[in-house]
Amino acid sequence: MSDIQSQLRARAAELLSSGEVVQVIGWMDGRFENQTTPAFIDRPEDAELLVFNEYCVNTTPKYTLYEKEHGKLAVCVRGCDSRGINRMIKDNQILRDQLYLIGLPCSGVKDRKTGELLIKCQNCNHRNPVVYDELLGDAVEEPQVNRYDVVERFEAMERDKRAQYFESTFNRCIRCYACREVCPVCTCRSCFVDQVNVGWQGKQNNLAENKFYNLTRVFHIGDRCVECGECERACPMNLPLMAFNRKMVKDLDDLFAAGEAGLDAEGTHSLGTYDVNDVEEFM
Amino acid sequence: MTLEIEHGCARAKEQLVPLACKVVSITSQTSDVKAYRIQTADGQKPFDCEPGQTAMFSVIPYGECMFCVSSQGEDYIEFTVKKVGYVTERIHALNVGDSIGIRGPYGNWFPTEGLKGKDVLFVGGGIGLAPLRSLLTYMLDNRDDYGRIDLVYSGSTRDDLLFLDEIQNDWPKYPNTFVNVSIYQASDDWDGAVGFTAPFLESLDFSPEGRIAVLCGGPSLFRTCLESLEKIGFPPEDIITTLEMKMKCGIGKCGRCNIGSLYICLDGPVFTMAELADLPWSAH
Amino acid sequence: MLLAKDRLNELLDHLSTEARVYVPARIETQTRFALYSDTVKPNFKLVNTELPPKDILFPQTQNMYRYGFDAEGVPFIDPIHDADDVVIFGARSCDVRSIECMDDVFLTKGYVDEFYEPRRSRLLLVAMACNTVAESCFCDSMSLDPNSAPAADIQMSEGDQAFEVTALNEKGEAALAAWSSYLTEGSIEHAAVSCELKVEMTGIKEKLDHMFEHPIWESVSKKCLNCGTCTFVCPTCHCFDISQENRMKIGERFRSWDSCMFSCYTEMAGHHNPRAEKMPRVRQRFLHKLCFFEDRYGKSLCVGCGRCVADCPVALDITVLIDQIGAAELTEGAVHDA
Repeated sequence: MSDIQSQLRARAAELLSSGEVVQVIGWMDGRFENQTTPAFIDRPEDAELLVFNEYCVNTTPKYTLYEKEHGKLAVCVRGCDSRGINRMIKDNQILRDQLYLIGLPCSGVKDRKTGELLIKCQNCNHRNPVVYDELLGDAVEEPQVNRYDVVERFEAMERDKRAQYFESTFNRCIRCYACREVCPVCTCRSCFVDQVNVGWQGKQNNLAENKFYNLTRVFHIGDRCVECGECERACPMNLPLMAFNRKMVKDLDDLFAAGEAGLDAEGTHSLGTYDVNDVEEFM
Repeated sequence: MTLEIEHGCARAKEQLVPLACKVVSITSQTSDVKAYRIQTADGQKPFDCEPGQTAMFSVIPYGECMFCVSSQGEDYIEFTVKKVGYVTERIHALNVGDSIGIRGPYGNWFPTEGLKGKDVLFVGGGIGLAPLRSLLTYMLDNRDDYGRIDLVYSGSTRDDLLFLDEIQNDWPKYPNTFVNVSIYQASDDWDGAVGFTAPFLESLDFSPEGRIAVLCGGPSLFRTCLESLEKIGFPPEDIITTLEMKMKCGIGKCGRCNIGSLYICLDGPVFTMAELADLPWSAH
Repeated sequence: MLLAKDRLNELLDHLSTEARVYVPARIETQTRFALYSDTVKPNFKLVNTELPPKDILFPQTQNMYRYGFDAEGVPFIDPIHDADDVVIFGARSCDVRSIECMDDVFLTKGYVDEFYEPRRSRLLLVAMACNTVAESCFCDSMSLDPNSAPAADIQMSEGDQAFEVTALNEKGEAALAAWSSYLTEGSIEHAAVSCELKVEMTGIKEKLDHMFEHPIWESVSKKCLNCGTCTFVCPTCHCFDISQENRMKIGERFRSWDSCMFSCYTEMAGHHNPRAEKMPRVRQRFLHKLCFFEDRYGKSLCVGCGRCVADCPVALDITVLIDQIGAAELTEGAVHDA
């Protein structure tokens, strides 16, 4: 990885010097040991600040929304990041030619305190970027994982236990909306939550409102979820948010063969498409 | 001469829980502005307040909005409300006799004492007349205490001018009181001045000597008229304005209306431009 | 006086008969001040709970009044005051100071908040000296002492076998008198701790006074996502919204935590928003913590608890910012008084 890191710094400096991009979005060291934080490098001499290691926990795609106004961006992308970028292109949030994608094969990132592979990485089956302009280092082997492990666990629960699982999860939500803000798919100009006068979402923090927020988000993301798991990582209350997102992904895959989101930037998506052969369980 | 404006005035009787009140009269001012007179449910004046103070108008069950009390009488307070958003739409749907809630009065007020003996130039546009009106009617009620009063007031069209009848027919009858009204675009129903507020103001040749300017209007009117007043020679300490911010509590606690360490609901809304120059705030 | 550790739960059982007792505890994936019960026991190994005790005095959602029309169509507006006797048992120095900050906000400047005050006046605040510090703790840089919390009613410190308990004021003395059957004479040696993370606060406020338009805000706000994590885990963030819930002809108006990080926080009717972009929002939060609050109430609104440092999903670290402010140059043109 340190080899990739030095290549990354060199390429970032070149891209900035040549004027091909105005900014490189990646990671730099944080204050604490094994901590990184998103980096926005706009001077070639600062490219030395960039790091790429097993503690680069943040995903990069969402920042393109804020930074694209400055000009063409170089963005560090691993599998999860690249799928987010594809999804944002598909959602008309950004254009492919506004981006220069520096592909980085990833072996998963770790929790800086425990040293364990993050849950989001344990369930990852796309460690290599699916789209890039150049790839630094060699592609890594894709692990065979059962992404639906967590879903199967709660599907297997007794009805009461499952209800309790949902409720205890949502009871602990503080509605800081970190999950929404990190999500590459949550790009609505005006989120239903913020339409305060329409009143979709009450401001109360209680089970009903918390459940409404979280489940509406699950439904709204629906088949667009790129399964980066960043919502779950960002959650300050450590809620198992991907369990619900994956349940949706799994159901859509079962019903409509939705497949995995963000593997490309073209085509349609299952919830946005009507097909006469669609399952209609309720008819 | 330095005007003393009080800041941090905590006078509200009802701090967060409104008083049950009712609408006793509604007068339509323009297509999207109406004036509402309010009494308590048992027919009393909800509270006494000073010109420039604000109050929270609660439309049960839709929400609350902060307005300047645009004038008051023996047994009522009056709000002038433009329909611009969710709650104000609901206010415009109210009828005489409807129940509402009122809490306040909040914030500070125009320096009615400090202005005594001085000439006062009011500059405003559109709905900006509402807060100016609270001071102007107060001064007319106490006409002998003040020097010459001038009003420079504009609107996009004739239909955007509030209290036009009062401005044209009542106020000029007071001694030493003059009104100047313009609209932005000429039209058949208007034989008065035509032009934007700032050039109109400049064309009227007011001397800053012994005169205080009171300015209130939307962002562009505010910016341009402020420049004009400065050009004419008004020092910042002789220009008074009243600020607008999103407000929820009214008592300086909920946080959102701050400019630096001041809360507009409690420490404002009335400031001189000299005071604002010391705050992290920009007129632009 | 000493409270033997094996008598702690007895004391808490006793206190629970008369008051709601909140103790630091782990509730599934979350650590917070939770209501003491048969299943919720205090855990003083938690240096700092992930959620502060602020919701006990200032709930995330608090109904203020009920309104509507009665059967005769007469309108009513009925305030809801529901304060109980409450004990916060085991607050760290940072959380005690945060309650001082909230007292400044809710009890001074001419208005005593009618929903905060009854809860505050019925609170018994029992502080617990820190035995260890977390990596993100920096309270002693913010002129606090992890070993003592003078604004509490009772100070406790933890030894091997017992807690030492000391009354800090009359309310504390009265409480200790009532606890006397659980206490014995004696004292323990408390090894004073200090934070590993240090920031230099000298001159920061004075510098910030002139940094409202400094380019630093543009660069520090880049990584911010504008979520409300920092504000909701912060023990001193006290901004609130007021809204309502209606059911047919009656409703309740409540206040709820709000965050200066959210765009709708300052958005006015007609969509004018003085802090529409994330830079002014980030600037507002940090200036409020380190500058504006001190101007208004004479103390910093950051108590150095480190919760935002630990929880920010993008590691936007206030201690790094403080260092950056310390190092920033006040260049011509970038200076505007804050």
